[in-house]
Amino acid sequence: MNWILGPMLLILLIPIYESFQDEDIWQKMLAFASVSTKTSIMILVISVLRDDWMIGVVGVLVLSVGNASLMLLAQVLKRVNE
Amino acid sequence: MIDQLINIVSYGCIVVGLVFWLWGTWPLVGPRSVLYKLHTLSVADTLGSVAIVVGLLLKIPSEWPLLIMALIALAIWNTILGYVLAYCSTEEPND
Amino acid sequence: MTFFLDLCLRLTVWFLLTADPSPINIGIGIVVCLLIPRSATLSYTASLRDWGEALWQSVVAIPQAYIEAVEIMVRPHRYEDLTRKDVPPRRTPGLVFLDIFVITFTPKTIVTRYHKRGWYEVHWIRRRKPQ
Repeated sequence: MNWILGPMLLILLIPIYESFQDEDIWQKMLAFASVSTKTSIMILVISVLRDDWMIGVVGVLVLSVGNASLMLLAQVLKRVNE
Repeated sequence: MIDQLINIVSYGCIVVGLVFWLWGTWPLVGPRSVLYKLHTLSVADTLGSVAIVVGLLLKIPSEWPLLIMALIALAIWNTILGYVLAYCSTEEPND
Repeated sequence: MTFFLDLCLRLTVWFLLTADPSPINIGIGIVVCLLIPRSATLSYTASLRDWGEALWQSVVAIPQAYIEAVEIMVRPHRYEDLTRKDVPPRRTPGLVFLDIFVITFTPKTIVTRYHKRGWYEVHWIRRRKPQ
């Protein structure tokens, strides 16, 4: 099953590259949202591979907290831009 | 026999998820608008990730409470994040 | 009735998180779910039929989302479009949330704005140039 992580890492490089390259703040936010989901799914995959419950809990936490913080950040950015 | 079938289905789900990831993430680099990229990202990050987690669920059913929790969190948070980003990145219409 | 639905949702999340069916944990779960304050702005007047319909729609949305995903992968959808979708009368905030969830969950459509006067602004991607 370990082969899954290789393609996942390669795909993860795309949003990371995009967040460096694009100057527009909303495009950056999109890229970060994508990074947040993808890393948490990778954490889940690793937790299943190692059969370790605790890593999986961390993955689920990152999944919800990461997205929630991005929502807050988006609202703040909207206010600042007005 | 059934074990093998479940194995094949779970690998199928994971591969489909990876294809969705690749297809939906690739347009991020392009010059399209934020909203267009949101559409493709909802293919990749929501549907692709759901497929991967379902594949894991079929492989290791003993961890089902955590993985179901992950599925629910994924579907709801990602979708609502898409809505919030769409809302915040567009201007208020004047009419 | 919707109080009951609310409680069920909280208990589901509790049990999925703790994954422990012992009586002590069930007791703690019920106490915690009752103690967490309930939102005062959510009005609980929506009929059970509306709720059933909305929940059913969100179940149907899952296969439909995959069908749409394959569609936009096979045939490129290059054009974008903005339409309005009317909100059925007397929608409660919970139902509006479910509506927005269902529309945004399918990859071809995203709600960009909800107007209090009664419509959603929906962003589409389409195969052909819109008129």
